Amino acid sequence: MTTWDDLLGTALVGTGRRPFRAADLAIAGAERIEAGSPEAAVLAAAALADGYRRAGWAPPIRRGTRPRPADPDDRPECSPAAAQLLELLLGRAIGLENGAEPLIADWLRLCRAARQRPPMATLPALLRTGTTTAALRPLVKQVAGPRGTWLAARNPAWRWATTVPPEAVDEVFTTGTRAERLALLDDLRRTDPGRARELVGRTWHEEQAATRAAFLDALHTGLSDADEALLERALDDRASTVRAAAVALLDRLPGSARAQRMARRALRLRNPDGTFALPGEPDRAARRDGVTGATEPGHGRGASRLIQVLTGTPLSTWDPADIPGAGPEVLAGWTRAALRQRDATWLTALARHRPGPELLAALAPADAAAVLDDQHRYDARFGALLAAAPGPWPAAFSTRIVQRLRDRKADAVVRLAARALAEHLHPSALAALEEWLLDPGQDRAATRRTLRGIAHALTIRATILQEFT
Amino acid sequence: MGSRWTVARVLALAPDAGSVRAAKGLANPRTWSDLGSTESLLWGKCQGSARAPYQVTVDLTEPAFRCTCPSRKTPCKHGLALLLLWAAADGSVADMRTAEPFAAEWAQARRKPARGGEADPQARARRIAERESLMSAGIDDVELWLHDLVRQGLAAARHQPASFWETAAARLVDAQLPGLADRVRALGGEILARADWAPHLLGELGRCYLAVCAWRRRADLDEATLGDLRTVLGWARRRDEIGDRVADRWHVVGRSQEQDERLLSQRTWLSGESTGETVVLLDFAAAGQALQVSHVLGSVVDGEVARYPGGPPRRALLAGDGHAVTEGAGLPQATDVRTALGRAATWLAGNPWLRRVPLALAGMTVVPGDPALLVDGDGAALPLAPGADLWQLLALSGGHPVGVFGEWIDQRLHPLTLQVDDRLVAV
Repeated sequence: MTTWDDLLGTALVGTGRRPFRAADLAIAGAERIEAGSPEAAVLAAAALADGYRRAGWAPPIRRGTRPRPADPDDRPECSPAAAQLLELLLGRAIGLENGAEPLIADWLRLCRAARQRPPMATLPALLRTGTTTAALRPLVKQVAGPRGTWLAARNPAWRWATTVPPEAVDEVFTTGTRAERLALLDDLRRTDPGRARELVGRTWHEEQAATRAAFLDALHTGLSDADEALLERALDDRASTVRAAAVALLDRLPGSARAQRMARRALRLRNPDGTFALPGEPDRAARRDGVTGATEPGHGRGASRLIQVLTGTPLSTWDPADIPGAGPEVLAGWTRAALRQRDATWLTALARHRPGPELLAALAPADAAAVLDDQHRYDARFGALLAAAPGPWPAAFSTRIVQRLRDRKADAVVRLAARALAEHLHPSALAALEEWLLDPGQDRAATRRTLRGIAHALTIRATILQEFT
Repeated sequence: MGSRWTVARVLALAPDAGSVRAAKGLANPRTWSDLGSTESLLWGKCQGSARAPYQVTVDLTEPAFRCTCPSRKTPCKHGLALLLLWAAADGSVADMRTAEPFAAEWAQARRKPARGGEADPQARARRIAERESLMSAGIDDVELWLHDLVRQGLAAARHQPASFWETAAARLVDAQLPGLADRVRALGGEILARADWAPHLLGELGRCYLAVCAWRRRADLDEATLGDLRTVLGWARRRDEIGDRVADRWHVVGRSQEQDERLLSQRTWLSGESTGETVVLLDFAAAGQALQVSHVLGSVVDGEVARYPGGPPRRALLAGDGHAVTEGAGLPQATDVRTALGRAATWLAGNPWLRRVPLALAGMTVVPGDPALLVDGDGAALPLAPGADLWQLLALSGGHPVGVFGEWIDQRLHPLTLQVDDRLVAV
């Protein structure tokens, strides 16, 4: 027992129960303590001994290798003003009607485009934001750079932002949790899709059905014709969820053998006048290719089967000029085919024929703007289309749409599409918005509030833009 | 904080019992604004029944009162209430450098006829003697309290309710020992929060006892030790007593702010380029108000500081005017852990009451863990305080060795500044 422990023991039980003499302490100076009572002796000894303890504290020596430091980041740091904006947005210090996330996304996109990096001090807040807002993760991960990846590897909550080093891929895929393996696949599909496919194939037969289906879903990223063989085999899977996942992926590969089989089925159904006959009960081969008994919302069984056949058929089989004469189930099939095959010509043609939010969202911003320019009824449907139009909106279109909404007093549309307006309007439309706000004819408080919110977001976006150009 | 009065002393000034009752009702910070005090003046605005708040000023040297309320009593209930707020020393009335204009003007107008130098030296000596006898009585009281604790055992003390420590602290405030009161109040929370509560409590009680013994022998103490003793007891020096000046290029190496519901306090650590001396500036402001001084981290102030009496590291004031401020480049005098702790040991040997030890460290790697560590090139490891923002430290350092300035308190490092390249960044 050390001298200090002895002293502490006495103090804990009290001098009323245990006697104490300072002179017995084996520390230098104890013999000079003058104390008239045991209490005074304990207190004086404590002052002396704790003085030694504090002044003589020696640090533990930590041996062993240091953790590997972060890789260097050669991107220049963004401007101080840009950094301050990011801090305000991340700290939610700016009150925004539609939340700070769209503006954070804007900031990150512009920072990435300018090949700059955020200040290191903002990385923890950025990673926290990515943790709560999954939609921002890919952007955060890219912009945070090597320092962000390094930092994320130290916090389990930020696992999503880590990158598995090539030498550890095998080990993580063999021993990781399902979430870790899926994150790894998703990562690999961006850089080395073949390697990810090879990993999926390696343990395919040992995985549970739910894992097999999830693995197939992970192949969405970086999908190519090279994945066809794996998907074709998955069509024979025992589990219906796995077969459905394979069908959904094969719908995206118009060059596959399965697409050709679907095309033959579709052509057999085509009548000389260009209409389609409804397919009967599917045979075994058709069921294997994804023509199932499931019904599509709003369609009968036969129509549903036709939609499934058309979805799987390459759009190059048909002529977009036939769109205006097509029946509802044919339109539904072609629309789904265009969305899955990401065929810009068909998407644009279909959107022009009958605009819908889903189609518009799949278009390039300029094409979507052109479609909206042709719409002249300012109803709820228009609001939904505007809300779905992808950004960034072209400058001329932005000013024009603000003008049109103001001229037609389309307050309801403004409120329906407020978030999209705040997020996608080009900053040059700010002048038109402010004019609208100053318009004495604009007297509805709710609309004014919405407009002010949009103008506020636009001001901040203009500042961000300015800081990165 | 200056020498504040006891409640009893304030109430002795009341013209009648009704004023006491009314003043106690008004002695609530919510009804007051623009509160503040200097060594000689105390002021505030009280929202009464009139539309404009009453302007209340007390000249503490006499004391003399002025209030814009219509009452004919002297002092009126507002003056008494203001004194009560101030005497509570709970931070609602902050120590300021300069008085509000309405208070300063009145004081100046009063002083003019009776110019003839500063306050009456006799009155001042009497005040000091009064205070010392009050403190001596309080010190006797502390000694008995400490003896009781040790006789009954610290294990028993741990089961005392929070009010036990609060009451002891309040008695110390009344005895004009606010510094000791702060330590005792903190103990009440620490013995519940800390895993090492027992050795911590014993050490703190030992240091309180040391203050008791030192006070009795204050006539024999040298200037520096007396300065340290006055700091631990909470008997602040008047600004005009601070005269020990030293010139240097002072690097602003660390800043920390603490805010409670009433007071904003700021510590600014300066490191002298050629003297190698570390000093600390203390600034206070009432909650919700801005600090009058704010030094930019990483800048260099070229000029004189006046140091308070005491052992190093000493409290100081920026002295004189015309301080040139330039940009610095990094942490001067940063060393490895062994050298920095060696320096700290010398300071602790000179001032056993020292709590916050400034450390300037070079080449420290942040190592996550429980606790997280700062490790120097030789492997010497300092544990980080639990409140330190580990992620910020990791993000800024990226796992590379960096310079760190921080406060070493109870074997835990509270980092304030990181040196990234040549830049100092607050953490």
